[in-house]
Amino acid sequence: MKKLDDISKKNPFKVPDNYFEEVNRKIISVTADADESVRKISIFKRFRTSLLVAASIAGFVIISYSALKILAPDRSGYQVSEAIFELNQDSLINDIDILSLEESAASFELSEEGPDVSKKDIIEYLMLENIELNDIYEQL
Amino acid sequence: MKLTLIRKDSNITDLLKQDLNKGFRLLVETYSQKLYWHIRRLVVLHEDADDALQNTFINVWKSIGNFRNESSLYTWLYTIATNEALALINKRKKNTAVSIDDLGNYFANSQEGSTWFDGDEAQLKLQNAIMQLPDKQKIVFNLKYYDEMTYEEMSKVLGTSEGALKASYHHAVKKIEKIITGD
Repeated sequence: MKKLDDISKKNPFKVPDNYFEEVNRKIISVTADADESVRKISIFKRFRTSLLVAASIAGFVIISYSALKILAPDRSGYQVSEAIFELNQDSLINDIDILSLEESAASFELSEEGPDVSKKDIIEYLMLENIELNDIYEQL
Repeated sequence: MKLTLIRKDSNITDLLKQDLNKGFRLLVETYSQKLYWHIRRLVVLHEDADDALQNTFINVWKSIGNFRNESSLYTWLYTIATNEALALINKRKKNTAVSIDDLGNYFANSQEGSTWFDGDEAQLKLQNAIMQLPDKQKIVFNLKYYDEMTYEEMSKVLGTSEGALKASYHHAVKKIEKIITGD
């Protein structure tokens, strides 16, 4: 049998036709695709700071708007408060009227005997009966 | 390492610095055949060699940024290819569907085997003898015998001392000659 030096060093294995051209193309296309995705990531990385700043501003605006919507009085709230204010004004006017009414009543003396009631009780009674202040005023 | 390959390595590393894609393309075109045959002689089957070759270049692409000029591109590529081939051999050992221990029988008698082998009877015996070597001896023998790699370069590829590699090659040759002469 031959010794090692006597055996041909020629490669005894075979490959499919055009194998190396195809595998080279395949390897280069795979890595080129990978490179493309890396580039896309790189673009994101490059603009990441700007995107984060923009997202933060947008988030702040949304949160602020939401907070204003929730906490600040809206139009109907404003109307209610206005109505309450107007009601308070009416009450104030009524208070003034009642005070002046009481002052006027102080000088009034009942000509007929009747139950022992105070003038204030009378005025309150009349008001409970929804008698207009002006009418009471006229009667006094 | 031949002078022409040294020049090509220099061209590749220069081009890699200028244009990574063009540099890598030149690298693939220069080394795909060399690395394929190195892998093929270790894993034997074409499909396995094809897988290992593609994985080798994908790994090269992934780590090309870590390659430093002070180490040789040639030995760096052979290291990656050898590791890929060994990983595939270990995988095959764990769950092998086809036993390729008897290459003579596989290449001579099976239609699939004969499709992928073009050598004479002596070459078939040699390949069969190489297959019977331990993995490390097999690599050392192939790199020295077929790729004509120096012990210095081989030492860089395998991370083993030159003295140990010389001893390993000597043992491998003795074993192979014993097998092929039938002593």
